[in-house]
Amino acid sequence: MFKNEEMEINMGPQHPSTHGVLRLKLKLDGEIVTSCRPCIGYLHRGVEKICENKTFFQGQVWTDRMDYCSAVANNLGWAEAIEKLFGITVPRRARYIRTLLNEFNRLASHLIWLATHGLDIGAMTVFLYTFREREAILDIFEAFCGSRLTTTAFRIGGLREDLPPGFEKLVRNFLATFPDCMNEYETLLTENRIWKKRTIGVGMLRAEDAIAMGVTGPVLRAAGVPYDIRKAFPYAAYEEMDFEVPTRTEADTYARYLVRLEEMRQSARIIQQCMDGLPEGPVMAKLPKVLRSEVNEVYHATEAPKGELGYYLVGEKGSLNPYRFHVRAPGFINLQALPMMVEGNLVADVIATIGTLDVVLGEIDR
Amino acid sequence: MNAMPLTLLQTCVMAIFQAIAVVIFIFVVVPLTTFAERKVLGYCQDRLGATRIAGHRIGLTGWLNRNMWRMGKLPFVSIVRGLPMFIGDIIKLLVKEDIIPDKADRIMFIIAPALSMIASVVVFAAISFYPGALFTFPKAFPIVGGLPFTGFITDMNVGLLFVLGIASVGVYGIVLGAWASNSKFPLLGGLRSGAQIVSYEVPLTLSLLAPVVLTGTLNFNDMTRKLATEMPPVAMPLLVVGFLLYLTCGFAETNRMPFDMPEAENELVAGFHTEYSGMKFGFFYLAEYINMIVVSALATAFFLGGPFLLPFGLHKYILHLPLIGGPNILWFIAKIIFLLFTFIWVRGTIPRYRYDQIMHVAWKYLIPFTLIVVMLAAFVRYAA
Repeated sequence: MFKNEEMEINMGPQHPSTHGVLRLKLKLDGEIVTSCRPCIGYLHRGVEKICENKTFFQGQVWTDRMDYCSAVANNLGWAEAIEKLFGITVPRRARYIRTLLNEFNRLASHLIWLATHGLDIGAMTVFLYTFREREAILDIFEAFCGSRLTTTAFRIGGLREDLPPGFEKLVRNFLATFPDCMNEYETLLTENRIWKKRTIGVGMLRAEDAIAMGVTGPVLRAAGVPYDIRKAFPYAAYEEMDFEVPTRTEADTYARYLVRLEEMRQSARIIQQCMDGLPEGPVMAKLPKVLRSEVNEVYHATEAPKGELGYYLVGEKGSLNPYRFHVRAPGFINLQALPMMVEGNLVADVIATIGTLDVVLGEIDR
Repeated sequence: MNAMPLTLLQTCVMAIFQAIAVVIFIFVVVPLTTFAERKVLGYCQDRLGATRIAGHRIGLTGWLNRNMWRMGKLPFVSIVRGLPMFIGDIIKLLVKEDIIPDKADRIMFIIAPALSMIASVVVFAAISFYPGALFTFPKAFPIVGGLPFTGFITDMNVGLLFVLGIASVGVYGIVLGAWASNSKFPLLGGLRSGAQIVSYEVPLTLSLLAPVVLTGTLNFNDMTRKLATEMPPVAMPLLVVGFLLYLTCGFAETNRMPFDMPEAENELVAGFHTEYSGMKFGFFYLAEYINMIVVSALATAFFLGGPFLLPFGLHKYILHLPLIGGPNILWFIAKIIFLLFTFIWVRGTIPRYRYDQIMHVAWKYLIPFTLIVVMLAAFVRYAA
């Protein structure tokens, strides 16, 4: 009468906690996941192809819309890749301001991660607490460039404008309150028995598997590999900054949680240093009105909040737009590890694992 | 209570009056609880919660909105700004399109929410809010003139057994509803819920067994009175532990955080009621809140002293005092409200357990602990 069979369910593309339009084909044996196949592409807009048909100046607005939670980090990678392609030197002040905004972006992105990850596991309150701080960060973005989410913050060769008046006060106010806010999140979660039960030993990804899968960012660092592009291949003003790369060795969801929290503290430290040591000078390099590329190719990697964000650009002789543009999106590569992390675990762990990978579908599908 | 035997007609009419009173109580408290949930969660989370019914500027709701908005300027009163939200909630549930999926089992799909709802409401037949007469009907009143209106509908000698028996029917509503939906997420939710509620019924019943052992009766009124006023001091720590155990199981029984597995919105979309809409969903929703009231009422009656002021059997030391010495229905209701607040407070504070961990909590911790409490209660009873 009873057949013993696996149930196949589609989690997503419309599901409360697949963070957008991720679709997972899950095979379930009772509550245990026997197979997990992520299906992506529901948000594909062809950003790479579009950018090949736009001039170098125009492409940046499309990078905003890849990982929409960390637009500034995307802008930074794009601007620096093109500067590398054309050999443009950015003034020191501009590099400092870029670093500062990039770290704010890391905070904003990690706050969103903490919010949604907590919400997925049922910790509702932390969601609203983190959005309160994110609001302050978005205000800072707004003060700098006028927009909050899709910032298009930088220009090739530097910045469009210097910092607005009153900017420093905003930043200092934020830095004054932020450590307390971090403590607030930690009070709710770090030593919470249920939170620990839900995250310790869940979604294990050992260092060798992570490296084999090409996983980068906090997920890799939580497995004990201290690989951070800000240290390994410094860009912007990271050479001059004093910060640590937090790592853990447990390689589980809880370790990733601790790593990201520590990263947030380090980001606040970097912001403080940028603000204190902000050099005087111009913020824009001298550029020709039109950028015409030579035959050239460049790969520029930056440490986006989610991992290694690489821009690969190929120039064509005399062309106004890139011949080929490719993005190594951290979310896309990190998502590959999902089946490895969830197979054999429970359905509830799938949710925790998606949360801990911190995927943003805008970046994965591009 | 009343030595004079009532005629059948008098009994029926009295029961109907009392049932109406209880139903009014339920349908006032439940929407207020949903409103309180919005507000308390809001204040937990550094936001305002409901402040108006979205978008209504004209008509009755518009008028309510405008006045509520004005109220916001007053100190203290501003907390209840947004009160019309609970009316809005009810209206929404009533007028939403009621969808029955094509492939669903129609009859079961319709019966299931009703079953949940009935199981929750019928329990109130045996719950005693106040052990005596609240008021006496005037002599001129037809049929029931001169009779006392008691704070309970029936005074069964197996009251507690009845409550537990009826309450356990509720799980059928959830499982049948999930099965009848003929959809995968509800099925998973229903299975979880079946396993969870059956598991938690064991420690829940055991934790209520300790008061039964201590008092030696199943009659609701007698239990409440004896637990509040006649316990030896050594029984008090037992009642405290029993209360905590009972409340934990109660959270699981009502599918509230951190045990809201059957719904587990982040994993199973909405769990067993994914396919439900309109008032059928409303019934499940109401049943959950009514269950919260039931759990709070039982915890209040047996552990928090019921209509007597002090909890855990401490009341016997102040029994002789005027004003606060005697039972008062206000204490009962105040304690229910406090426990309902606790439900919401916990939801705002802690995350959700995983399904297997919930089972571990029940079988590895709660059942052994409750058994120990029952055993100690038996010792206390034997010694007393």
